[in-house]
Amino acid sequence: MDLYEHDYEATVHAVRDQYGFDFVSLAFVQSAADDFVLTWQFAAGNLTNRYKKVILRSGKGIAGIVFKTGKPVLVTKLSKEMEQNLLLNYPIVAYERLRSLGALPLYKGDHVCGVLMAGYRTENTMTKEKFEHFHQSFAGQFGAFTIKEMEL
Amino acid sequence: MTSRLKINIHDLAEKLYTNGCEAILFFDTNNVILAMNSAAERLFDEQTLQKLRVGIPHSFCLACKGYTSEEELMTCLNCNLKKVTNEATTFQVFLQTRDRGVTPFIASYQMIDSSADVRALQLFDLTSQLTTQEVHHRNTMMKRTIEAQEDERKRISRELHDSVAQELLSSLVDLRVLKYMNVEGEVLTKIQQMEGSLSRLLDNIRNLAVELRPSSLDDLGLEAAFRTHFKWIEKNYGISVRFFSHIQGVRFSSEIETVAYRICQEALLNAIKYADVDEIEVHLKENNRMLDLYVIDRGVGFDVDACESKGTGLGIYGMRERAELAGGKLSISSEAGAGTTVHVQIPIGTRATKKR
Repeated sequence: MDLYEHDYEATVHAVRDQYGFDFVSLAFVQSAADDFVLTWQFAAGNLTNRYKKVILRSGKGIAGIVFKTGKPVLVTKLSKEMEQNLLLNYPIVAYERLRSLGALPLYKGDHVCGVLMAGYRTENTMTKEKFEHFHQSFAGQFGAFTIKEMEL
Repeated sequence: MTSRLKINIHDLAEKLYTNGCEAILFFDTNNVILAMNSAAERLFDEQTLQKLRVGIPHSFCLACKGYTSEEELMTCLNCNLKKVTNEATTFQVFLQTRDRGVTPFIASYQMIDSSADVRALQLFDLTSQLTTQEVHHRNTMMKRTIEAQEDERKRISRELHDSVAQELLSSLVDLRVLKYMNVEGEVLTKIQQMEGSLSRLLDNIRNLAVELRPSSLDDLGLEAAFRTHFKWIEKNYGISVRFFSHIQGVRFSSEIETVAYRICQEALLNAIKYADVDEIEVHLKENNRMLDLYVIDRGVGFDVDACESKGTGLGIYGMRERAELAGGKLSISSEAGAGTTVHVQIPIGTRATKKR
């Protein structure tokens, strides 16, 4: 993958500044040799560096769910939707104390190859409207990836 | 000796009656109260007392909730007070008391004057004895539950590892052989997809088996099991565990290794959840026939004496319970801002064996 043609480090910071999110992070799917595990590789507004070491399998964590389903995830009110076993199931959300968030699948062709997540440390701040606006603003393109038109 | 003989037994009996703390009541044939001491009077509420004093037959039943028979906790069937035997009977009875609600008592009921048909009922409060008994009972049950859970986990884990995973592996090998047997195009792609999903499935099953109970704990011992678990923690939680082992591959009895492993697991999880650290230290030592396990974090810490807990409050209770199960001791020291140390000390007896 030509991930490093783009400066994603700078991109996540720019996204955070532009929209005023508390936290933005970017996960990439690893190669087949690594069993397609996912790792968060870039983050802006992070409280700890623990996100770098966490390895998510398909279906695990926000990135794993987005990867497996190929669909975006929106959590507007964490305490209502996924408080239980938060640390075990969504370690980054717990460490970064996010309370509302949205995550988009990043496609290459038909495959999900990355996940872009943006969130706030307050509830009801990432609303459906805000997430839709965020989704539309990329006009289908994020670095080397495409962002598909889809129902949120 | 002579002075002792002079003591008046009537005098003593009277003192026991007036100053003693157990309730004493005297009944006649019709279960009418002839007399009761002040300890008995303190027991009942005003309404009951009045009826008892007036001498209404069976008014004791107003306060009595029944005695404990083999069949029931509280029953009036075959009431001991209504039986006309000359033998003394002792039984457990529940009474409605003035200020403590329904309370258990040991009652002793006996004929003390058969010519006049006078019977005496003595009541001893049982509350504290029953509480103690309940604590003992709960501890025993807890220990049995932990043992049963561990056995069951071991069984399922073995089953997954030895038969399910084995079968799956042999299918996977067959599939790999198939790949080299004159197949191409769509079929080959499909086979490759199946191979991928089967191998992920195999991984999942193996992870499940290890999470239930690592077979390395039984086969290779504490150090190996710890190392695998710490790697798993780093992958899942992004927190590194620095492991300092001073036991040089020594094996202990399965019970001790299980206790140490489970306590370490729980202590690490607590540190991950609440300490807000990137690194945790684990020390394992053997000293004076004792196995010492330290789990140290330099995180936020907490007030050890505080009653309220952030989680379920069961974690520490469970760790202590497990430590006591193996005759060991668990101590937790923590200071706000300085971190937390969990120290477990388990006696290893003479059972430790050197491996290789």
